[in-house]
Amino acid sequence: MLRMKAFGLPGLIAGLALSTAAAAFPIKAGQGTYQDPGITDDKIKIGLFAPLSGPARAYGEDPLNAARMWYEMINEMGGIWGRKIELVIEDDRCAANDLVAAVKKLVEQDQVFMLNGGSCSAAAVAAQEYVLRSKIPYVMLNASGDGALYPPTDYIFGGISISQRAVGGIAVDFVVKHFKAKKIGYINHDDAYGAWNLETAQYMAKEHGVSLSVESINPNITDVTAPMLKIRAANPDVLVLTTYARPAALILKRAHELGFKGPIVLTVTGTANLKQLVENVGTKDAFANFYVQDVINDSPDGPKQRWIIDMYKKRYPDLAAKPDHPTPYMPYGVAAAQTVTHALMLAGPNPTRESVARILRTLTFESGVMAGLISFGENDRAGQESSIFLKFDGEKQVLQPGVYTSRWTYKP
Amino acid sequence: MMGDWQVYWLFLQQGIASGLVTGSIYALLAIAIVIIFKTTDAPNFAAGEIFMAGAYIALYLVIFSQIAYVIAVPVTLGVTFILSALFYRVVLRRIGVSPAVAVNVVIATLGLSFVLKGIVRNTGFGDVPRSFPAVFGADTIQIGDAVLTMQDVAVFALALLAMVIFFVFFNYTRTGRAMRAVGMNPRAAALVGIDLHRTRMLIWGLSGLLSALAAILIAPKILMTADMGIVVILGFAAAIVGGFTSLPGAVVGGLIIGIVENLVGLFVSTRAIVVAPFIVIMLVLAVRPQGLFGGPTVIKKV
Amino acid sequence: MTRASYIVVAVLAGGLLVLLPLLGSGYIVYLANLMLVYIVLALGLNILIGETGQFGLAHVAFYGIGIYTTAILTGRFDVPFLVAAAAGVLLAGSIGLLLGYVSFRMRDIYLALSTFAFGEAMQWVYRSWDAVTNGPNGMRIKPAELFGARIATDHDAYPFILTATIIIIAATVWLRGSRLGRAFRAVRESEPAALAMGVDVRRAKVIAFALSAAYAGAAGGMFATFSSFIHPDSLGFTETILVVTMIVVGGLGSISGAIVGALVLGAVQELLRQAPSYQEIIYGVILILFMMYLPKGLAGAVGNLARRAG
Repeated sequence: MLRMKAFGLPGLIAGLALSTAAAAFPIKAGQGTYQDPGITDDKIKIGLFAPLSGPARAYGEDPLNAARMWYEMINEMGGIWGRKIELVIEDDRCAANDLVAAVKKLVEQDQVFMLNGGSCSAAAVAAQEYVLRSKIPYVMLNASGDGALYPPTDYIFGGISISQRAVGGIAVDFVVKHFKAKKIGYINHDDAYGAWNLETAQYMAKEHGVSLSVESINPNITDVTAPMLKIRAANPDVLVLTTYARPAALILKRAHELGFKGPIVLTVTGTANLKQLVENVGTKDAFANFYVQDVINDSPDGPKQRWIIDMYKKRYPDLAAKPDHPTPYMPYGVAAAQTVTHALMLAGPNPTRESVARILRTLTFESGVMAGLISFGENDRAGQESSIFLKFDGEKQVLQPGVYTSRWTYKP
Repeated sequence: MMGDWQVYWLFLQQGIASGLVTGSIYALLAIAIVIIFKTTDAPNFAAGEIFMAGAYIALYLVIFSQIAYVIAVPVTLGVTFILSALFYRVVLRRIGVSPAVAVNVVIATLGLSFVLKGIVRNTGFGDVPRSFPAVFGADTIQIGDAVLTMQDVAVFALALLAMVIFFVFFNYTRTGRAMRAVGMNPRAAALVGIDLHRTRMLIWGLSGLLSALAAILIAPKILMTADMGIVVILGFAAAIVGGFTSLPGAVVGGLIIGIVENLVGLFVSTRAIVVAPFIVIMLVLAVRPQGLFGGPTVIKKV
Repeated sequence: MTRASYIVVAVLAGGLLVLLPLLGSGYIVYLANLMLVYIVLALGLNILIGETGQFGLAHVAFYGIGIYTTAILTGRFDVPFLVAAAAGVLLAGSIGLLLGYVSFRMRDIYLALSTFAFGEAMQWVYRSWDAVTNGPNGMRIKPAELFGARIATDHDAYPFILTATIIIIAATVWLRGSRLGRAFRAVRESEPAALAMGVDVRRAKVIAFALSAAYAGAAGGMFATFSSFIHPDSLGFTETILVVTMIVVGGLGSISGAIVGALVLGAVQELLRQAPSYQEIIYGVILILFMMYLPKGLAGAVGNLARRAG
């Protein structure tokens, strides 16, 4: 299958210039002859949704802002093939029924051309059957999306931040290669995400011939004494945490209190706010041997991330002035929006939902933001599968050598 | 490597020690819940959110207004007291206290819980887990094989102190005795000249104060989010185990729940921790509904 | 209002409902399907809390039993849809019966807390029993086949959902006028008095539990008709308390109240999605205001108006 490559930001600009120029020539289908809704000679409607309320608001708001920022930039440059992008924004509340309502409203009521949204994987699966039946291309926002990506479908694309299946395997890969670990203590959640990342962690542990001691905790846990004592009794060389931020802080604190001196690695699931993490744990001593995973291509204040932070500050000066903004998850929204705009651009002056979906199925591009290429292919609807690791001592993040790419592949 | 029995012995000690610490907080919450129930005959569905709001008020004062703990804590307790009392005065008093409108009280407190959560989320501070700056440092002490931090010990001691102060107040002061009277027999209390509405208002305020105190004590231990109110279910479990109308029962119930949580996690499965309080509630209510210390259940309807 | 005007309103409403699929987009019909499910849920809970006065808070657990049973039987065992849905209703009703037996001696807060705990434990089961429910991944629901027709879209499902709801409403009205209905209300007013009148209080309570659970199971079967996916996160206390709010805002103990409450709050939930930042605050204030100024709910308020006008 032909792999379509678009070459990151420079390529995008060139492509846009080309398409704007081409738009001057009347090669488009013309009013009234479009098969799909949401597209006219000068506009294309995209349904954008994320959790904008409730407990998951922090996971959805900023990535949605970032996606919007990208779409607005594209519009300022002339749009795609002369069409400006019109956004319709919905709140999916990170809940299955609400996400389905949001999607149905966007598709049936607002008549959008395609969908871009979702930060919560479990909720996204709820819309799967409807999306496939409606044959509408759906690119997730920053959801891992595993439940809707495996087995792969023709219209649903996700894992643009990173799929949970990639996270688990990469974490094990890293600790084996970096620390020569033989016994790994693995703490995940007993929810869907936990099950997915554990699956590949166990796969990679077997590949490497190392042992995995697992404790699966509830995200609402208040006292981590029980799981921590049990993990300590297993005497691991290294601790891998794939928990959310709050339990991660509790575990770090407990590990320190119990005298665990080995390396501790926290996957991207829990790195929402590292500064606050230090405050929550209470002492920098707990971070003597602490590493975090990230799925962007540099440390957050590194040179490669500069352009996106600047873009955010310029476009949302009020938000950027708020503490903790932009949030660490913000860049993922840009990569998701890029997926949409790249596909639309490559689809030519007369895109249809079918042609866009077809292009997405083999799309590969460099986002200039994420650790690895965004790429889809046969049996692969999870876009981004690489990570970097940083050592965090409580103050500074130091990039560790190597980009780790998931080696797990889906076998139907 | 330790032998199996040594490991289990360690588990037991640590489970009990840590369980006592979190249990003392559940006990405070249980007291807050029970005093309201005794006097208004309806469950307070906003208990968790008042607890949460108390923590955030303290957070705002300590972190963002940079006020010292010694001032911030009493101010928080005072503010929570006033807000809770106000809620009774403005909303609940109007709805009434009879069993017939218990369901309305439930929905009204539910509404309060939504409002509080929404406000906290809108401030933007509620989504990232937060804590207060450490007061007691990270030093640890060892009790047998179990390890506790100075913070843990301080939390337990302060919670116990609060409970002692509360018991003295409730049993030996005039206002406290008036509250008990209203709880036991409102009609008789009114006849004796006790202002029912004022007393109930004070009780709501007191309940809010206790919840806020519990929140301040436990926030560094469980970390604050806008959804931390979910912890209050453990307060309910504690109240049931102890006997829903018994205050000493609430304390014992809290400690038991804290220990049971840990022991279930250590000896059964980590996944079972979250369902353990519900199993406890069902078992106690099915087998011995008056809990450990409650008297015979009083039927208030005729 | 005169009898004639009632009939006119009913005909208009009925006509609107029947014409809905032609007038509305798939989104509107989806919402309508959801509202109808809420109506059945509300009617069921009204039997327990409104009619019989038993504060049971496990309602959505039985909704879940209906959904999962239907999904598992049709998806894994190729059982015909109606049979699977009926099995869901029976299973839900049976477990409701059991719950009624265990808790018939409990009152008020104790009943509320034990049923609440049961509901939470059931949600934990849905989340953790991976082998049966697929655990935290949620479960896909096979498209229904009813009377030879394959139900693929919301439009397809609507006539069946509407018919089922109308039948259930009729049954509920009949139940209210029946001897069992009178027994329920007697238990609510005063158990000792009911006993004195010869009502088997225990039997009435247990049946009330079983019936309300069966209603919830039926609502689950209806949900499975037009939905393709169920997740344990949707089956928690928040959802149960939403149904409680519906019947209280609508008017406790009133059938039309339950229906109106379900429609109003269902609509409010969806409308509030347009105001993400403030929706929780707005919703909370709505609840508080209703309890302060319309304690008998909407049905009660309409009743008062009618009394004053007539």
